[in-house]
Amino acid sequence: MLTLERIGKTYPNGVRALDGVSLEVGPGEIVVVVGGSGCGKSTLLRAISGLDQPTQGRVMLDGTEITAPHPQIGIIFQEPRLLPWLDVAANVGFGLEDRPRAERQERVARALGRVGLAEKVRVWPRELSGGQAQRVAILRALVPRPQVLLLDEPFSALDAFTRADLQDHLLDLWADLKPTLIMVTHDVEEAVVLADRIMVMRAHPGRFFEAIESDLPRPRDRQSAAFDFVKRRVLAALDRSLERATITDDAETRAAAGAALWW
Amino acid sequence: MTALVGEGTVERRTAQYRWARFGRPMLGLVLPVAVALGWEIAVRMGLSNGRLLPPPSVIYRTFVDLAATGELQEHALVTLWRVAWGFVFGVAAGTLVGALAGYSGLIRRLIDPTMQGMRAVPSIAWVPLFILWFGIFEASKIILIAVGVFFPVYLGVMGAVLSVDRKIVEVGRAFRLSGFAMIRRILLPAVLPAYVLSLRAGLGLGWMFVLAAEFLGASSGLGFLLIDGQQLGKPAQIVAAIVAFAILGKATDWLIVLLSAPFLRWEDVVDRGR
Repeated sequence: MLTLERIGKTYPNGVRALDGVSLEVGPGEIVVVVGGSGCGKSTLLRAISGLDQPTQGRVMLDGTEITAPHPQIGIIFQEPRLLPWLDVAANVGFGLEDRPRAERQERVARALGRVGLAEKVRVWPRELSGGQAQRVAILRALVPRPQVLLLDEPFSALDAFTRADLQDHLLDLWADLKPTLIMVTHDVEEAVVLADRIMVMRAHPGRFFEAIESDLPRPRDRQSAAFDFVKRRVLAALDRSLERATITDDAETRAAAGAALWW
Repeated sequence: MTALVGEGTVERRTAQYRWARFGRPMLGLVLPVAVALGWEIAVRMGLSNGRLLPPPSVIYRTFVDLAATGELQEHALVTLWRVAWGFVFGVAAGTLVGALAGYSGLIRRLIDPTMQGMRAVPSIAWVPLFILWFGIFEASKIILIAVGVFFPVYLGVMGAVLSVDRKIVEVGRAFRLSGFAMIRRILLPAVLPAYVLSLRAGLGLGWMFVLAAEFLGASSGLGFLLIDGQQLGKPAQIVAAIVAFAILGKATDWLIVLLSAPFLRWEDVVDRGR
């Protein structure tokens, strides 16, 4: 169980990036945090990862406070951040340095096979496409089998097709060991594809504005009315968080949801 | 049909590869060979007596004669030995101080202005002082060369450490690398390309400084051969020594490139400038 206890972050220049953010995430749950740019969602993720310290509150993982990067917490950044001097296999196995060589090789090869990169084992990162590089980055974070995986807008630099492809890969890999997933994104569709729970954030200071539970069956059909309904709810919440008039009429949304549930 | 087209493409690719691999480097030889040939022809035709600048054939003969007596090798070896030691000390000091200055802002602010000031001092200016301090023999020469090697290495290492991608370092932090592991697995590989460049620049300066050292009080070495050629009016010997310098300089530079190549295969270089 990952718990955020009234996390706050005030920068030395006085800017309050986060204020009183609390959250409980159960094992295997997928929580996606959405919000406009500058709402503090990346700051939040970095505080959970232990790379940065919150100025108020604390992050707890199974009763221990997280104050520095933790072996049970993996993180994937917006850019792949592969080490250019290591080939693909060595990048994937980066967190397995302490494991025996044979085990490392076996786990790396199996992981690469899972995402269709088996033949890229000995390739340099610079020879990979953006999508391939990000797949390698996902494996690098997942191969040490963390209990919690944090993702900071991991697919935002990719084109729409590659993005959908990687979302599927991510869910597929997640299904193996079901780590807790916390992703930050500004792509509402991505949030609905992945999330059990969508946290809408608002800025100045960063706070959770609304939580939207989603129990859409997996694998999720991006074309279904139910999918669309959840998406509209998120969009409406985002609009409210920005104090902007919502185009989607609430009654209509409800009707659409009703239709999806009935038929 | 498609097969034929395919084969044609493959053949063309092979030809292109051959040209890139063997033909293109030869382009660099066109200019010196043309100049040498032109000079040789000019002297043979009596357009010049070639006394001040001997034609290639005379230089070649001088070179071979000097090599036959073992004189050339002896002087070259002495010079090489001086450069090698100067290089070792200069690199050691430059790496250490450069790494410290790159790593710690405090140390950088303390020492970098002084270093930049010292760097501006012309090499020859140190010679009298070093001779006074370390004597006329090898120590003063090696220290002078080390000073020459030090600055490019210092600057290169400091710059490389400063420009290590913070995002990559963060990956190391996320994987909880300790100080030593962080250096071994992230910082060292990250600075290596710039480090190799600084070593090559340092070596180049080392070869310049050895000349300065040998000009001022030496009884052996290629620099001595140069001065000797001037004093005895033997231009062919001077040019032969210059050629020896060029060969040694290029060969030692190539050695650094060769030794570092296996560690830099990952580098994203489109054209290595060959």
